Amino acid sequence: MVEATTGGGTLSGAAPASSLTTTALARYLFAALALIAIALAAYTLHTTPGRGARASFALLSGAALGIAFQRGRFCFYCILRDFIQRRDSGPIYAILTALAVGGVGYAIVFGQFLPNATAGRLPPDAHIGPVSWVVAAGGLTFGLGMVLSGACISGHLYRLGEGYARAPIALFGSLIGFGLGFFTWRELYISTLVRAPVAWLPGTFGYAGALAIHLTILGAIALLLLRFVPELPARPAGRITLARIRDSILGQRWNPLLTGAIVGLIGVFLYFRVEPLGVTSQIGSLTRTFMTDNGWLTDRLNGLDTFSGCATAVVNTITENGLLIGGLVAGSLAAALASNRFKLSRLTVRNSLTALIGGALMGWGAMVSLGCTVGTLLSGISAFAISGWIFGAAVFAGVWIGLKLRLESS
Amino acid sequence: MKALRLSLIVLALVLVAAVGGALAQETTTTETAAEVLVTTEWLAENLDNPSVRVIEVSVQPGVYERGHIPGAVNFVWHTDFVETLVRDIVSPERFETLVRAAGINDDTTIVLYGDNNNWFAAWGAWIFNIYGAQDVRLLDGGRVLWELEGRELVTDAPVYEEGTFTVGEARADLRALLPDVLAIVEGETEADLIDIRSAAEFNGEISAPEGVQELAVRAGHIPGAVNVPWGQNVNEDGTFKSVEELTELYAALGIDGSRPIVTYCRIGERASLTWFVLSQLLGYEVAVYDGSWTEWGNTVGLPIENPSGTIWGGQ
Repeated sequence: MVEATTGGGTLSGAAPASSLTTTALARYLFAALALIAIALAAYTLHTTPGRGARASFALLSGAALGIAFQRGRFCFYCILRDFIQRRDSGPIYAILTALAVGGVGYAIVFGQFLPNATAGRLPPDAHIGPVSWVVAAGGLTFGLGMVLSGACISGHLYRLGEGYARAPIALFGSLIGFGLGFFTWRELYISTLVRAPVAWLPGTFGYAGALAIHLTILGAIALLLLRFVPELPARPAGRITLARIRDSILGQRWNPLLTGAIVGLIGVFLYFRVEPLGVTSQIGSLTRTFMTDNGWLTDRLNGLDTFSGCATAVVNTITENGLLIGGLVAGSLAAALASNRFKLSRLTVRNSLTALIGGALMGWGAMVSLGCTVGTLLSGISAFAISGWIFGAAVFAGVWIGLKLRLESS
Repeated sequence: MKALRLSLIVLALVLVAAVGGALAQETTTTETAAEVLVTTEWLAENLDNPSVRVIEVSVQPGVYERGHIPGAVNFVWHTDFVETLVRDIVSPERFETLVRAAGINDDTTIVLYGDNNNWFAAWGAWIFNIYGAQDVRLLDGGRVLWELEGRELVTDAPVYEEGTFTVGEARADLRALLPDVLAIVEGETEADLIDIRSAAEFNGEISAPEGVQELAVRAGHIPGAVNVPWGQNVNEDGTFKSVEELTELYAALGIDGSRPIVTYCRIGERASLTWFVLSQLLGYEVAVYDGSWTEWGNTVGLPIENPSGTIWGGQ
């Protein structure tokens, strides 16, 4: 019953190993081409002056993330919906594992970057945001937008690679949402955010204390959800053959624990080498640049550039974040082709419109929360930021309300 | 045969003498530079030298943390080198504590480097000089060249035994305050003023580069200043131009060290790069006006020059 949790329409399983049809061969060929294109792009970036290893690392991390997202169906909306509607908590363990692995990794990296956690400084550019009702409102709105549009922003990015036709519309909607966010930013900053504390657990409890709290909370949630994990199917005994390996990698949905661990590790490696994992910085910057160029925004938005998060800036280039997103879509495309999950979905007036509106809600939420389910929830909580926990809880509430109000459309 | 061998030996001797002479000449002409600049090669060989301490001062947060020269300590320019509330350079007490924590003694050779062409590393060098450090040098080419050459970077933050560095009385001759600059403008003091900002800022076409937070209400420059954008001091690979080239560059603009010099920029840091070039490499008498354009351009009643005629508040 794994396929029922995809949220991306009906999909057929991978072809049996023995019959390599022409279409299957074509799929593998295109998947290989996508991977070669990623590798070539990474190589070119590496040798380009002003780009270098950081840029290719960002691109390759994005590709790895795209593959993990696609093969593990790491879609925050689908995961939460499975739990809320079907009382299936299995997929949630992917998020919990990502946060646990991320927390351990961040503690290790932080210890190196900022040996003294309690000296009053914050680690460089980690996603530790201001704590106020704004991040809660942002999360709630973001959750509603997820239900309306059919996925969160990272979900739409990887499902773009699966041929999900609503994804480009929702992503365009998020550009509009970011614009609305910029318009409301000034008011929110002056009324609330300027005085909001930037709360960071290790600043009070040290790294060991913060990690202990972090793992205790995650462990408690994992324990509470255990009774909602459905019965596991029996696995036939047998030797490990190439066909079986291929089925594990390309046929079955990856185990949530494995997927979560991979996502958590990529987040840590990315923070160590480039910047914290996030997927909205380039999207928001696109909007901000467009609006600034057209005179709709002033050069500076009060306070915005002083917070850490999925930072937006007026830029006219593809940032490392843009490369990450590009890699994510391309990696997901390769994985979807190889596993026969690529299928153009149908568009209707209704599901296009809801994708657009949902995207706009997510854009606003991600703007005022300085990130989305990846940047603020995943990277924020992994970095022991209180803002990440509040955003996560609010997103859960938003998805819950959205589903109760039957806002989803296929 | 004998004649041939003899002539070969003579030829070899002449060659050796010529190369040796050329080398000797090179060392004499760059002698000043050698005392205040270190090459990446020299630094790589001296990383284990206990009397050398390397300090990174980068503009971008996270750059040091994600990989720095082995053994280097991190000084954060916007907190470690300034008193943020009063807008002043770091107090001597706080500076002494900071420098001692880096394991620096009075006789330690301090080598600074950073991103963005050593902008803020040069500023750090200026502050070290103000507080009387004896041997302060910059890594020629800075972080960019070190990375370009594929040299080793590490991520562990080193811990050193506390040093015994003692701050001296702040050297007032390295720093120009607003009244000092006003005295130059009014002709009471003879000195050359150098504005190191971009030509567009100098001419008043723009008041600051896009996206920066610190602004002045007026655009233009201090009357009598000469515009030499900082980038003219360096080669394409980020290393400083040769002493000869730099001497020529400034002499062509009438600045030859015969009079004291004051450098300034927008918020006061980049001017230190030109201060370093003129005072440390060329040996001129130079002070930094760290109040710079954000002080001068904002101050009521001070004269400015604005060739492009942009008026405060005008549309």
